[in-house]
Amino acid sequence: MIRYGFRVILVIILVALLLRACLVKDVPPKTGTTKSGLTDIVNIDYPLPKNVTINGVDYLQSQAPVGTFGGELISSTIGEGPKTFNPFNCKDNTSQIMSSIMYDGLLTSDPVSGQPVPKLAKSFSISPDGKTYTINLRHGVKWSDGKPITADDVVFTWRDIIFAGLGDTSTRDSLVIDDKLPQVRKIDNYTVEFTTPKPYAPFIRMLSTPIAPKHVFAPAAKKSAAYFDTFMGTTTKPEDFVISGAFKIKEYIPAQRVVYVRNPNYYEINTKDQKLPYLDKLIYLIVGDLNNEVLKFEAKELDVISLQGSKVARYKSVEPHSDFKLYNLGPNTGTMYLSMNLNNRKDPKGKYYVDPIKQKWFQNENFRRAVDYSVDRKNMVLNIANGIGAPLFTPESLNSIFLNKNLKPYDKNLNKSRELLKKSGFYTDKKGKLYDKEGNRVEFDLYTNAGNTEREAIGIMVKQDLEDLGMKVNFKPIEFNSLVNKLVSTFDWDMVIMGLTGSPLEPNGGKNVWLSDGRLHMFNMRTPSEGKAKILPWEKELDEMFTKGALATKFEDRKKYYDRYQEIVYSEKPFIYIYSPVIIVAIRTKFKNIYPSPLNGITHNIEEIYIGE
Amino acid sequence: MEALKYIIKRIIQTIPLLIVVSLISFFIIRLSPVDPLAELKLNPSISPVTVEKERQRLGLDKPIIVQYGKWAYSFVRGDLGITSNGERVSQKLKERIPNTLLLTSIVILLTWLVGVPLGIIAAVNWKTPFDRILTVLTSIGMAIPSFFFAVLLLLFAVKTGWFPIGGLTSPNFADMSFGGKFLDIAYHLVLPVFVLFTISLAGLQRQMRGNMLDVLDSDYVKFARAKGLSEFSVVYKHALRNALNPMITLLGFEFAGLLSGAALTEYVFQYPGLGRLILEAVLKSDINLVMASLMMGAVMLILGNLIADILLIITDPRIRVKS
Repeated sequence: MIRYGFRVILVIILVALLLRACLVKDVPPKTGTTKSGLTDIVNIDYPLPKNVTINGVDYLQSQAPVGTFGGELISSTIGEGPKTFNPFNCKDNTSQIMSSIMYDGLLTSDPVSGQPVPKLAKSFSISPDGKTYTINLRHGVKWSDGKPITADDVVFTWRDIIFAGLGDTSTRDSLVIDDKLPQVRKIDNYTVEFTTPKPYAPFIRMLSTPIAPKHVFAPAAKKSAAYFDTFMGTTTKPEDFVISGAFKIKEYIPAQRVVYVRNPNYYEINTKDQKLPYLDKLIYLIVGDLNNEVLKFEAKELDVISLQGSKVARYKSVEPHSDFKLYNLGPNTGTMYLSMNLNNRKDPKGKYYVDPIKQKWFQNENFRRAVDYSVDRKNMVLNIANGIGAPLFTPESLNSIFLNKNLKPYDKNLNKSRELLKKSGFYTDKKGKLYDKEGNRVEFDLYTNAGNTEREAIGIMVKQDLEDLGMKVNFKPIEFNSLVNKLVSTFDWDMVIMGLTGSPLEPNGGKNVWLSDGRLHMFNMRTPSEGKAKILPWEKELDEMFTKGALATKFEDRKKYYDRYQEIVYSEKPFIYIYSPVIIVAIRTKFKNIYPSPLNGITHNIEEIYIGE
Repeated sequence: MEALKYIIKRIIQTIPLLIVVSLISFFIIRLSPVDPLAELKLNPSISPVTVEKERQRLGLDKPIIVQYGKWAYSFVRGDLGITSNGERVSQKLKERIPNTLLLTSIVILLTWLVGVPLGIIAAVNWKTPFDRILTVLTSIGMAIPSFFFAVLLLLFAVKTGWFPIGGLTSPNFADMSFGGKFLDIAYHLVLPVFVLFTISLAGLQRQMRGNMLDVLDSDYVKFARAKGLSEFSVVYKHALRNALNPMITLLGFEFAGLLSGAALTEYVFQYPGLGRLILEAVLKSDINLVMASLMMGAVMLILGNLIADILLIITDPRIRVKS
C-alpha cells in the first residue's frame, strides 16, 4: 500500500515537472543567447546582371564572381509534387515553381528593391500616359531546340493563350478593366507593344508571366481548351519540352523527384563570356512532410532547407562546425490572422448565417478591438515561433514595399479591452463571466485547420487570452477542406484563425479578399447574387482604395491609397493579424554566389550558383 | 465440375457486394463536408471563373446520385476516370502499383519463409528456453506500432548514415548500370522491408505455433506416436499437414493486403507506393482516385478469399465432401 502511494506521488511529481517545463509563459526572453545573430536580416549587395552584345547576340551578363562548372544542387518540395509542367495551367504553388524554372518571363523583379527589371526582354519602357508598354527583345537568343525567340512567341503567348482564356484564366481575369482586355501588338521581330484600356499599374508585374515557344504550343492552343489542360503535363516526355529557362527537365519520377539539367542555349553568360548556368543538374526531391525534409537535410540528401522556428536554435548552435550556413530572409510573405464573421444576412431559406445574438457582438467594433487588445502577440512569437518571428498588425506583410510604417505596434492591454467592452454595455458577473447588454453569455466557436500545429497552438493561446476577458471560447480545429467550405460556402462560423499568402510587391493581389464582393472576402462574405448587399461604410472605402490603387500609375500615388487601406483594416479589425514567422534558410557552404533576398528567396539566381571549395 | 460451379457461384455473389461497397463509399465521401476545391478557393490569385470551371469539370454541380451514376457507368466500362488534377486514374495507379507490389511481395515471401518454420520449431520445442525467447520477441514485434518503429529506424538511419532516408531510388538512378540500379533499390528497400517483416512475422509465427500445438495435442498424433512412428514423421507428415489448413485462409488475407497493407510504413518512409497516393487523395476528396482504390481493395479481398477457399478445397477433403 505504501509502495503504491509512493508511485502515485512520483507520477504526480513527474507530471508537475513536465507541466512546469511546458509553461514558459512567465520566463523572460533570454538575451544575448545563440539566437541574437539571427535577428539581423541578410543585407545583400547583389550585382544585377547587365546586357552585353557579342557578335549580334544580346546576352545577359552576370556580374557575380566567376565560378567553376559542374555539380548539382538538391532542393525539395513538400506535398504531392507537380501536377503539370505547363506554366499556363498551374493552380498550385509546386507546379508553378517547377514550370517557372523552365520558362522565363519578359521581366522579373529586382531581388533588392523589388522593382521590375528585364529578363527575357532586353529593355522595356512605359509611355507617359501609363497605358502603353513597349518591350524590346534580345537579338539572337534561342529556345532550347535552337529556334530563335521572337516577338511572335510573345504575341502568341499573350493573345492566343492568356487572353484566349486557355488553362488557368486567373491572369486574364485580373486584367479585365471596364470589360476590356489589354491589346498586344507586334511592331517588328524584336519589339512588342502592350496597350491597356486605362492606366493599370499591376500590369507591369504580369509581364513576368512565362513566354511559350509558339512552334510547340500553337498546335495545342488550336485544339480544345480541355486538350490544353493536359498539354505538357506530368506524363509528357522530357525531350518534348522546348524551354527558355536555365534548366530543362530530364526526368520526373512521381512521388520521388524532378531532375533538371542545364540548358546549353541559355542566354546568360559570366564575365568571362562563358555560358551559364554553372550547375549541371538541379534536383527537387518530392517529400511528404516537414519532418522528413529535416531528416533528409540532416542525412545530407538535401542541400538547402527552409527551417521552422522550433528547429532554428539547434541548427544555429551546430552551424559553426557544420557544412551549412543559415540565412535570415526576414518575415514570411504570408499573413496569419484571427477573424470574426461579420455576416448579418440570411441564407436563401430565410435563416441567419450567424446567430443574431452573436452578430451583435461581432458587428460591434469595440468588441473586435477588445479582442485585438487581449491577444498577446509577443508571447505567441516567443512560445510558438521560438522567438523567430515578428508581431503583425497590418494586412501587408512586413517586407512589403507598400507597408504602412505609420501604423504602430502595441502590446496586450487587458484594461483597455475591459474598458472597450464596458463602453458597449458588456458586463461581467462575480465569477468573471462576460455577458452582453441583453444578458446573453458571450460564448462562441473558434475554428482553425487541424494538422497545422502552429495555428493550433495560436488557437489555444487566443482561447486563454479571451477567457481572461470572461468569454467562453470553444476551440475546434477541423480538417482544412471542411473549414474552407465553412468560410467560403456555408458561412456558419463565428471566429477563425487562418492564413493567406500575399505578395510583397503588389497589393492588388489582395483584392479578392478586400473588395466587398470578392471571392475571399471571408469576414463578410457575400454570395454572387447578393452583390454588394448591406455594405459597411468602411467596406465601401476599401473598395474605393483598391479600385483607385490599381488605376494609379506612380508608386507614390498608389502608396497613398494602399496606406489608407491598411489604416482602415488597422482600426476596424475585420482581421486581427497575429504574427509573421521569419524565414530561416540553411544551405551547404560549398555553394558560392549565394545572394539571399528577402523578396525572391535564396536560389533566385540559380544560374549563377556554383560549387566551390 | 463441382468445384467450377462453386467458383462461378462465388464470383456471381460478389457483384451485389461490390455494388453495395461502391454505393456506401461514394456517398460517404461525397456527403462529408470536405470541399475538393478548398485549396483553389483559398488562393487569392485564382479567379472565381477558374474555380467555377473546375467545379463543372469535376461534375460537382450535379446531384450526388447523378455523379454516382456517371462514375458507375464509366467504371463498368473499365474507365476509372480522371483525378482532380486531370490525370488519368489508371495512369496514376499504374505508376504506383509496381512499387507497392515490390515491397509487399518481398515482405510476404520473407515472412512466410521465416515465420512458418519458426512457428513449427517453437511448437516442437514447446516451453524450452528457445520457445520462450521467441515468444518474448514476437510479443514485442506485435506490440510496436508500425509507424513508430519506422520513425525509430529513420532516426537510426540519420544518426548512422548507413541507410537512405526513405524513397526508392537515388537521385542519380538514371545514370546507373543495371547492377547498380538493382543494388540501389535493394539498399532503399532494407528499412521498410525490415519494419513490415518484423511486424507481420510476429503474428504469423504465433499463428503457426498455435496451430501446431493444437494439432500436436490431438488424438491422432498421440495415436501415431503410440504406433511407434518416428518423431520426424509424426511432426512433419501427420501434424504439419493438418496445422497448415488455417494458414491457407490467412494467405488469402495476405493477398488482399498486397496492395493496401503497407500504407503507414510507406508514408513514413516516403515510399512512392499506393499508400501515399491514396492518403493524399482521401484528404482532398479526390473521388475517382479514392473510389478506384477502394474498389481495388474490395476486389483483392474477395479474390484472396476465393483463392484461399479453392486451395482449401484442394488440400482439405472434409470441405470437398460438404460442398
